[in-house]
Amino acid sequence: MTSSLPVPLREPDRASAPAPAPAAAPARRRRRSPRTAAWLFAGPTAVLFTAFFAYPLAASLYQSLTARRDGVDVFVGLDQYRRMLHDPAFLHSLANTGLILAVQVPVMIGLALVLAVLLNQSWLRFRAGWRAVFFLPAITTLVAYAVVFQVLLRTDGGLADQLLQALGAGPVDWLNSPTWARISLIGSVTWRWTGYNAVILLAGLQAIGRDQYEAAALDGAGTARTYSGVILPQLRPVVLFCVITSTIGTLQLFDENYVLTRGGPGDATLTPVVYLYKVGFQQLDFGYAAAIAWVVVLIIAAVSLLQFRLYGRERRR
Amino acid sequence: MSPRPATRPGRATRPGPAFGRAAVLAVLTLGAVLSLVPFAWMLIASTHSSSELFHSPPPFLPGGELLRNLAHLQETIGFGRVMLNSLGIAAVHTALSALLSAMCGYGLAKYRFRGRGLLLGVVLATMMIPLQVLLVPLFQMMASLGWIDSYQAVILPFLANSFGILLMRQGFLDFPDELLESARIDGAGELRTFYQVVLPCVRPQLGALVIFTFMGQWNSFIWPLLMLNTQENYTVPVALNTLTGLSHVDYSGLMLGSLLATLPLMLLFLLFQRQFVAGLLGGALKG
Amino acid sequence: MSARTRHRNHHQPTDDQLELRHAPTRRRLLSAGLAGGALLLTGATGCATGGAGTQDAKRLTGGTGATPTGKVTVWSWDVAAKALKRLGAAFEQAHPGTTVEVVDIGYDNAYDKITVGLGAGSGLPDILTVEGHKLPAYIGNFPNALVDLTSRAEGLKSQYPAASWRTVTDAGGQVFALPWDSGPCALFYRRDLFQQAGLDPAALATWDDYLAAGTTLKNATGRKLLILDGKQDTTFAQLLQQQGQSWFVDGKVAVATPAAERALTLLKHLVDRDLVDFENGWDGLVSGTHDGKAATTPTAAWWDGTLTTDLADLGGKFGVVPLPAFTPGGTRTSNSGGSTLCVTAQSRNPETAWAFVSHLLADKANQVSMMRQEGLFPAFLPALDDPYFQQPAPYYAGQPAMRLFAELARAIPTVERTADDSKAGDIVTTAVNQVLHNGADPGTALRSAARQIATATGRQPVS
Repeated sequence: MTSSLPVPLREPDRASAPAPAPAAAPARRRRRSPRTAAWLFAGPTAVLFTAFFAYPLAASLYQSLTARRDGVDVFVGLDQYRRMLHDPAFLHSLANTGLILAVQVPVMIGLALVLAVLLNQSWLRFRAGWRAVFFLPAITTLVAYAVVFQVLLRTDGGLADQLLQALGAGPVDWLNSPTWARISLIGSVTWRWTGYNAVILLAGLQAIGRDQYEAAALDGAGTARTYSGVILPQLRPVVLFCVITSTIGTLQLFDENYVLTRGGPGDATLTPVVYLYKVGFQQLDFGYAAAIAWVVVLIIAAVSLLQFRLYGRERRR
Repeated sequence: MSPRPATRPGRATRPGPAFGRAAVLAVLTLGAVLSLVPFAWMLIASTHSSSELFHSPPPFLPGGELLRNLAHLQETIGFGRVMLNSLGIAAVHTALSALLSAMCGYGLAKYRFRGRGLLLGVVLATMMIPLQVLLVPLFQMMASLGWIDSYQAVILPFLANSFGILLMRQGFLDFPDELLESARIDGAGELRTFYQVVLPCVRPQLGALVIFTFMGQWNSFIWPLLMLNTQENYTVPVALNTLTGLSHVDYSGLMLGSLLATLPLMLLFLLFQRQFVAGLLGGALKG
Repeated sequence: MSARTRHRNHHQPTDDQLELRHAPTRRRLLSAGLAGGALLLTGATGCATGGAGTQDAKRLTGGTGATPTGKVTVWSWDVAAKALKRLGAAFEQAHPGTTVEVVDIGYDNAYDKITVGLGAGSGLPDILTVEGHKLPAYIGNFPNALVDLTSRAEGLKSQYPAASWRTVTDAGGQVFALPWDSGPCALFYRRDLFQQAGLDPAALATWDDYLAAGTTLKNATGRKLLILDGKQDTTFAQLLQQQGQSWFVDGKVAVATPAAERALTLLKHLVDRDLVDFENGWDGLVSGTHDGKAATTPTAAWWDGTLTTDLADLGGKFGVVPLPAFTPGGTRTSNSGGSTLCVTAQSRNPETAWAFVSHLLADKANQVSMMRQEGLFPAFLPALDDPYFQQPAPYYAGQPAMRLFAELARAIPTVERTADDSKAGDIVTTAVNQVLHNGADPGTALRSAARQIATATGRQPVS
């Protein structure tokens, strides 16, 4: 749970990666710890969670089993969940998420990797400055992000448009054609998070000892060979970490498409979380919104589990 | 003894050929320009009046309205006041949340107790559920506590931070038990061991956590929007939101305000960026 | 979604007797629901919260002559908030012992705040600003969250356009708000562009004329005919209301009707003939208009406020004519936008809240002052008789534009409003976009939307 909605939605999952599933944690010798000591540390948090999340979680689960009829919540069992199966908007939102996962995540991680390798060049000066510049997009407030991108992607006279015209290409309807709206969304998500991932990958590169580079160089390997043959294979866990966090972030995508297109045109950029927001807050159909939310939870849980498994295997290599 | 990864870059010994360097610099510069363009435009927009921004093409050079926009921002939303509100809320939230996360992460990593699995489960579950569906019940609770329009309502519910807990837990898992034993043999109590022996070793993780928590709270929008009902109590994003009206939007004010709101985060990142990257990778790096 | 519900909805609006017989059942259901909710609340956290109310909506109980006292808080946004602050101070002076606090919550996320507050049954101020097209969904979904103003407001019915009045009442005619401003629609056009193309705007009697003029105009000037918002355009709803219907007719889903198909086909023709300039959001509409990308804007009276402030440099270039009709001699206006003020059931001071609301909205002088100073076009009909509306406006090259709107305001077609309007509106927006951006067939898209709305609301489509 992020502290609030418009903070980077990728935030929560960054954590998921470093923490293997509880069962996978290596058995350690526990101290003869008095239970009181354990609760001394974990207690305050447990109290906060109970106080502030037990009721909302239970309430939303119950809400997902109800429908509002004539101003009253009526228990309808699993009806809301069944409704999803035949709801074109929901199905489109899943398809869109799949598309973003298949296209945006690989492109972004690839770009981030390139940036990280370039930033890792030994002769590069002002590395901290470069790093900060590339990280900047990740700390933009949502309000600013919304306005700036609206103006940049203005169909006629926007910066992107002027750039195209300079290259002799025609006007592009960035946000109103379904295809271009998807491309714009993928582009703006990539803008916001590539630098962030590059910073993480760079840290990964830097943690690989200098001796590795030197050993490869002594063997007569060029820079390209050093990276492809020696360095990148060692970076796999970090790359996987970035992939996992980006995947979960995509499954919860809200900010970018909400401010850019509200999920439109049509359902072209609709994602499950934007859809549940519309269902709950615009259509006042809280029961259905809650059901969608819990399906999102199930999907994220399943995907996380899968990726944790991969991650665990990776760490054991 | 600390799990801190090397922060010095691993250096390739052979310098690349000159044209290779030029190419690298060219690509990096292009990337930096792409990163910075929206900010440059924010800066430019802050120096124009809103109606100038409606021109097509929008202005690409700075104008002369910066000071007037600043004065207007102060006059309409009390920008100084809301900056202080945001700073105060984010600072208190960050300090408490980081401390709690560290404690809970330590408890989960180093003790085995009944309910541990459940707690970990709850931590994971709250990370996965979209916040939107929790808003109404959480709002109900705040209202029944009489906390609407108070700072504690903004700060308290999200103090328990799943991300932070997992990050810290990961940091502590790698902490050698032997050190704890020896501290204990020296007669240190559980709390003293924690503060004097354990905490100093996870400074990178704490640094990363501080940046994330502060960033999250600083940019946090929907919850403060729901909780705060008087203009003097607004945080920066909530106050900036009021500049968007039904038939008039103060774009210059929005841009200037957003730009100014980015500065504290930028400063924080520059100060802590070493710990930030190191801490974030505390676990991921151990291949 | 159950068969029972569908059956009930099916008959509800047409069969009064059945409606009456069902009333007690529904009330019992309500208490059962509340009890269940309370159980959940106390069971989970041990803290009871006030739900959306008891069996009936709260009513005003005090005598009509009572003196207002105490403090009321109002939520609003931009110029509306300004008007409230200005007249709130006057109200405080006229009624010593009262305080009016106005909070500007911004427009963009105002409904998030309002929805959560109404859903939670707490945390709201005494008075809310809600746009007319949003209000019926709130009244229907949170039936006890607003104060039933019927006893005081009933007599004011004839003072407002019937279309506006319909937005503040539920299906049974109970009143939950007072209309503030209304949005009579007309066609704003660029005088210079029409002249250049040799077109007479007054000759645009039907939408067919409008289409034909669009091509001439485009050939002569290179400009498009109108701007639409790519995301959430309201033009379709406006065209539908012009023909006297909204999403539902007699409680049944009516988005696949001939009227709806005519409206959507018109929009599709405009797009197919390349007469539409798509822009994004408010910013796109304003800047596109500023740049003269389109020669006309079919919209409401409040557009005047934007023109005269944000586009002041285009003074003298605009004119206004009634909307083209769908059939010769047909209705020449519609409605877009317009707000209301309602009193929340959470208010500790509903009498004073009502006093303030009626002082503001059922008062000729105050309504006129809000037109003059904040550009809020009054829904209160007596205000339209003010000489202000007869004045020639320099911005419109001397045309008394507001006189036209004042005339049109009385002719706005009334349409059915239901609790499911927001649901239907969302689904229809998607269908409209599929037609305009993906080239879908209007009839097919609307029929699919009707099916989705039927599923989402448990209502039958009109046969």
